[in-house]
Amino acid sequence: MTNSIQINQLIDHLFRRESGKIISVLTGVFGSENIQLAEDVVQDALTEAITQWTYNGIPGNPNAWLYKVAKNKALNILNREKYKRKYSFEVSKFSKLEELAFDSPLDEHVIKDDQLRMMFVCCHPALSPDSQIAFILKTLCGFSIKEIANAFLSNEESIHKRLVRARQKIRENKIHFELPATSELQNRIETVLQAIYLLFNEGYSASAGENVIRYELCQESIHLAEIIESSTVVKDKSNVHALLSLMLFNASRFHARQDELGNILTMSNQDRSKWNKSLIEKGFYYLQKIKSSSGVSSYHILAAISAHHCAAPEFNSTNWKEILSLYDSLLLIDQSSVVLLNRSVALSKVHGANAALNELNKFAGDEFLQSYYLYHATKAELYTELNRFREAADSFQIALQLAPIKAEKELLQKKFLHCREKV
Amino acid sequence: MQEYLLLIRTEGNPWDILSPEQQQKHVEKAAAYISNLVKEGKLKGAQPLEPEGKIISNTKGAWKDGPFNESKEVIAGYFLILARDLDDAINIAKKNPIYEDQLKARIEVRPIKAVEGVNV
Repeated sequence: MTNSIQINQLIDHLFRRESGKIISVLTGVFGSENIQLAEDVVQDALTEAITQWTYNGIPGNPNAWLYKVAKNKALNILNREKYKRKYSFEVSKFSKLEELAFDSPLDEHVIKDDQLRMMFVCCHPALSPDSQIAFILKTLCGFSIKEIANAFLSNEESIHKRLVRARQKIRENKIHFELPATSELQNRIETVLQAIYLLFNEGYSASAGENVIRYELCQESIHLAEIIESSTVVKDKSNVHALLSLMLFNASRFHARQDELGNILTMSNQDRSKWNKSLIEKGFYYLQKIKSSSGVSSYHILAAISAHHCAAPEFNSTNWKEILSLYDSLLLIDQSSVVLLNRSVALSKVHGANAALNELNKFAGDEFLQSYYLYHATKAELYTELNRFREAADSFQIALQLAPIKAEKELLQKKFLHCREKV
Repeated sequence: MQEYLLLIRTEGNPWDILSPEQQQKHVEKAAAYISNLVKEGKLKGAQPLEPEGKIISNTKGAWKDGPFNESKEVIAGYFLILARDLDDAINIAKKNPIYEDQLKARIEVRPIKAVEGVNV
């Protein structure tokens, strides 16, 4: 009855991170048509870890432990006749698994390249953007179906169906586990970055859901972009750097956006000492790495705008003139309603609330903006600034009806009542 | 101090309904639990058991090996601990984080038989 009890600790998110890595490596072995098999092996390895470690303690090198167990389980599957027939494994796959440096020291580059291949599979244009991010979360980020459902305010069944369809599409379209040809690489990277940014915004937008899980989506997006950033395959990384910078700047404000009571704080009311300094620093680090030679992307401009906010010691010292001119450049690439709306805020700071209102009133016919609460809330703020309280109250009331979450509604309600008193 | 055997009883394999993140949280809680027991000098041994095996019986010279367990519940593992008395042992069992993450978990607390003057 002698067994040595080990006292070690796990680094944060180890299970989640390692399952993303091992699923990628094993998908390279089993083929992308058998992603589910790779997912099952990893789940088995984690279960094995729980049953051992909850009695014997955590081993000294938990990563190597997990890899070794997963490798053995994978070899067992490859060796079993019934699996050989079912999954039509090629002999070459055995040697690939044997060769893999599964026992420590782990070759981080091999793993990262496989994670990159996995990203290309997940973000294949044949899959819808929604499926892409659900699939990324499941395979690369080690999220459970339930966690994905919580993050997207969906239910487990529809997420499950979405994943099943995605795996099916991968089989039907014969999407291989490989890096795209050099000529195609840059385009395909763009699709991956779009999915990552979408994932980030899912987490960052205050639309709903638990704060904890939403912040984790932001962290995961940054983590995925960092994998691409460290890849030796991708040569032009300007957009990767721009996106990383943008996400880091925005993430730095994540926890300053609400007070202790859960009330939403707009940027003018945020306690800037609560902005995460190390994320801001990293944001500037990547911003400086962007090569100007490779053209300007919207990530780049948005990152620069966000940098101006982060650099301002207080709201009143924000460099609105620069921000406005950045929005003007952004409009050349992206004329979407949200850009126009955000630009109007900068416009009001530089040329006054009237100028901004004139601009916004031009979009009375824009269906998206009319049903977007922030359009009405922005107008209401501008009316308030001009002491036009009746119009402000009206706009606040519309915004109030359209706002998706309670905390937003409460803030708008307060402002609405304040304006009505002044009428 | 007296020895107690804590038999951990669970049903099925409920770990795969937890996400990797939740699984890790559970491992961390369990590791802290174990390390506390070690620090207090109360843990003599612990091992998980395979969910399989046989029950061997001998009736009038005829060997029989049957399924080791016919109910859904299995003994998933054991802890061999030192405790002052039964209450102390029960308290140690209650602190096992398995109760937080496996609703059907049960722990059987059994004193190892002590014979005064021999092993006490």
